[in-house]
Amino acid sequence: MQWLESVQNGPRLSVTTPLEEVETAAANTDALVLEFDAFRDGRGFSLASILRERGYAGRLIAAGHVLPDQARHLRRSGFDAVELSPGADIETWKRMDTAFDAAYQPAEEKAQTIWQRRAAARASTPPRETPPKPDGDLQALADRLNAQVADAGPAQILTAALDPALGLNTAAISSFGAESAALLHLIAEQDRSVPVVFLETGQHFFQTLQYRSQLSEKLGLSDVRLVTPDATEKADLDARDDLWKTDADACCDLRKTRPLARATAGFSALITGRKRYQNEDRAELLPFEVLDGVLRINPLAAWTAEDVEDHLVAHDLPRHPLVDQGYLSIGCWPCTRAVEAGEDARAGRWSGLDKTECGIHLGRSQPIAA
Amino acid sequence: MYRYDEFDAALVRERVEEFRDQVERRASGALTEDQFKPLRLMNGVYLQLHAYMLRVAVPYGVMSGAQMRRLAHIARVYDKGYGHFTTRCNIQYNWPALTDLPAILSELAEVEMHAIQTSGNCIRNTTTDVFAGAADDELEDPRPWCEVIRQWSTIHPEFSFLPRKFKIAVVAAEKDRAAIRTHDVGLQIVKGADGGTAFRVFVGGGQGRLPHIAQEIAPAVPGHELLAYLTAILRAWNLLGRRDNIHKARIKILVASLGIDAFRTEVDKHFATLRQEDLRIPDAELTRIQSYFTPPVFADLPKTSAAFDRAVLADPDFARFSRNNIRRHKQPGYASVIVSLKPVDGVPGDITDAQMDLVADLAERYSFDEVRAAYEQNLVLPHVRLDDTPALWRELLAAGLATPNADLVTDIIACPGLDYCSLANARSIPVAQALSRQLGDLDYQERVGPVRINMSGCINACGHHHVGHIGVLGVDRKGEEYYQITVGGSPDEQAALGEIVGRSLPSEEVAPAIARALDRYLEVRTEGERFIDTVRRLGADPFRDAIYETADAVA
Amino acid sequence: MKIITANRLSDGRVIYVGEAGAVVDSLSAAAVFEPEAADAALAEAAAQPAVFVNPYLVEVTGHTPSGRDRLKETIRSAGPTVGNSLKHREPA
Repeated sequence: MQWLESVQNGPRLSVTTPLEEVETAAANTDALVLEFDAFRDGRGFSLASILRERGYAGRLIAAGHVLPDQARHLRRSGFDAVELSPGADIETWKRMDTAFDAAYQPAEEKAQTIWQRRAAARASTPPRETPPKPDGDLQALADRLNAQVADAGPAQILTAALDPALGLNTAAISSFGAESAALLHLIAEQDRSVPVVFLETGQHFFQTLQYRSQLSEKLGLSDVRLVTPDATEKADLDARDDLWKTDADACCDLRKTRPLARATAGFSALITGRKRYQNEDRAELLPFEVLDGVLRINPLAAWTAEDVEDHLVAHDLPRHPLVDQGYLSIGCWPCTRAVEAGEDARAGRWSGLDKTECGIHLGRSQPIAA
Repeated sequence: MYRYDEFDAALVRERVEEFRDQVERRASGALTEDQFKPLRLMNGVYLQLHAYMLRVAVPYGVMSGAQMRRLAHIARVYDKGYGHFTTRCNIQYNWPALTDLPAILSELAEVEMHAIQTSGNCIRNTTTDVFAGAADDELEDPRPWCEVIRQWSTIHPEFSFLPRKFKIAVVAAEKDRAAIRTHDVGLQIVKGADGGTAFRVFVGGGQGRLPHIAQEIAPAVPGHELLAYLTAILRAWNLLGRRDNIHKARIKILVASLGIDAFRTEVDKHFATLRQEDLRIPDAELTRIQSYFTPPVFADLPKTSAAFDRAVLADPDFARFSRNNIRRHKQPGYASVIVSLKPVDGVPGDITDAQMDLVADLAERYSFDEVRAAYEQNLVLPHVRLDDTPALWRELLAAGLATPNADLVTDIIACPGLDYCSLANARSIPVAQALSRQLGDLDYQERVGPVRINMSGCINACGHHHVGHIGVLGVDRKGEEYYQITVGGSPDEQAALGEIVGRSLPSEEVAPAIARALDRYLEVRTEGERFIDTVRRLGADPFRDAIYETADAVA
Repeated sequence: MKIITANRLSDGRVIYVGEAGAVVDSLSAAAVFEPEAADAALAEAAAQPAVFVNPYLVEVTGHTPSGRDRLKETIRSAGPTVGNSLKHREPA
């Protein structure tokens, strides 16, 4: 943008001039001055925009009563220069011209809009479905809590996690599967109102659904939330409920990973029932970890299958009906089978595939195992 | 709800600095008042009767608890301990100092709020249905589109010096709960030919001296063409709208004078040559914005609530509150709760700082941290479990926020009037108070059923009196306050302008006159007929007679 | 007779031109002008935009507004007749 201190040559039209006349004048010149009789008269901005859109490539100069505060409006509407009034302060014009780093809407100038900058930023970082949350403080918190609970049992880990002073917004994730009763019981003993998120994938064993109702009632859980896949997505990607046959990863993404991300967007901490013994991937599990800006709490990390069993017996908790039939880990029916002697507990999940995790406990930046 | 990213946050901060610069230049004399005025108006700063007035934007009426709490803080620290919610879902403070404004705006920016374009000849706050995202009759949630329009219209280089103000409202159902036909542009979400989102576009509505109901200009503009079409409308009006007379400058005047068909031709000419592809909303951006409006994770609840049913049976006051202020929600077991800012003898739409803090707390505990400002100048907690409504009601009751009069006759919409506003001819608050005292009996109000009274203190009609079932307009007769009454207006999908019933009345006669009109309605209505339906059936005459019968007898 | 009133730039409050051009915030302290002198005093106020925003003349009888706009000027001088500002006490 140019700040001109002398009167410019070239046809000079008031911004009150009808559009057709302005267009005619522009067609016959390569330097046009549009004069504002009053700074409030915004016709000048539309005239300039239209001239540019309809192909005028010559100079467009604003003159008359214009304020430095309109510098950006003039530039972005397609003016190249302002003919300053006598006594105008160029510094103020320059300052107001650069008062904003970016603008939302497209205009006649070529600078990237905020929408375009967002797209560019997205293209160069991994896709996120939820707004990013700050990670730094949470990792420090996780480290501190891990140190604090070093030898503690699950109840103390939960007490530390549920301390209101931490200011966390906490929910639990449960599959209401083979071992879920232990964790849910421990939670219920401290706070029955902790939201419990259950991924209603649409492909559970009916025994799981019955067990969920039964266990919730027995433990007095007051906030069990059923999370379903997005209806439009499901209609697009898996209308016949057979995606698991060809692409189990995509099916887990549709029915578990994405719904969970949506459901947990408002929470800063999530409690899971994961344990080290369950498979190789979990062998290093700590009670507190940070994943995608959320604090993950794994109170049962150090427990073995026997510890779980002892707890269920000691507190007379109902079992998932399929456990007796040899299912040691229970997910959706298409991808779950009973476990053979000697296999690890999750061997029945996605058996025959390389897949060992559905993905809800893996970070966003980590690709799902193919 | 929408959360700022670094671009949104930067823009709001830069705006505060720009305004600070402008205030300094006004103080130093580098800007005259005449030059400064449009600039301060575009930051929501009016100069009123007693002081500056700051109008803070509440984009499409949505707030979080943290934001409400900050609004309370500002009322407490910079003002006189209260705020006022308006018919455009914004909040107004009546006493801030100009010198405090940069600090106030900075504090607002910290919670992702601002006062950008809440006044001035520019595109104002886009409003919508207060029950968006909870209503069971909406095609989709209109709020992402409101956010798109908000961003596109913010500091628009071409449309910041329009002939007059420009107001947009959006709904997503046949039922119009945002009075879109009283707006410069009204948008109704419909299904497009391709099955996607499209907009039925109305243009040329407005209140003021010369009220108009908006007319349909396009039946189904595809969603991705929305901004291009709005640009064409604004461009046509920006060039042709009158600038010689502020009372003839709104787009409604242009549409009326050209006729809707000729106006449409102008718009289409611009639409044909503007760069539509530039204005096409990127799919990724729309998806990004929509992701902020996914429904909260509702609990799996039965449709009925034992706790709610018990409370209704046990407590007649709660039962009355539930009849009037608890509204159906699309999710089983949930409801939307109307928090009334219309206590008897109160100031319609006013709320104290302590009340704002409480509402913030209630929003966090009971409504997924969301509270809405309504066109009716009330607040709404949109997603409350029916189980929780008795406890919520008790807390509202303790704070004076539980008046069970939503949509009833004392749920009055009123502008601040001559007590505050330099444009006013007459006071409106004392008349609204007198009305609420006269008609306050709750049994009576429920017997009368839904009636909307709208009060404006002057012809600018900020109280929307033209579209009130009963409208009251303050006029100045030789320096005295008189009030004109209209009957039969309606702001919804059956939009209509009220009819003046006769000569204006002195202030002490207004409440008795309206009471007589309502008594007449009770006499002549048929089973289940609301007041406005009876007016439509019988016309204004029976009510005119009732209003003036005693007035004439004593004249 | 006339008085001169405006809003104060810094805080928007109602002010009047008092004796010897002083700025006062109560109507009772405002200087009362004969019509001829009023115009000159108005021009003086208008020449101080850092203090007086949009100064104008108000018709008075004694110190009571008496013109067409008397109700508005009375409310301007005394504050709102109703509402929540009446309950407010300035912090000590």
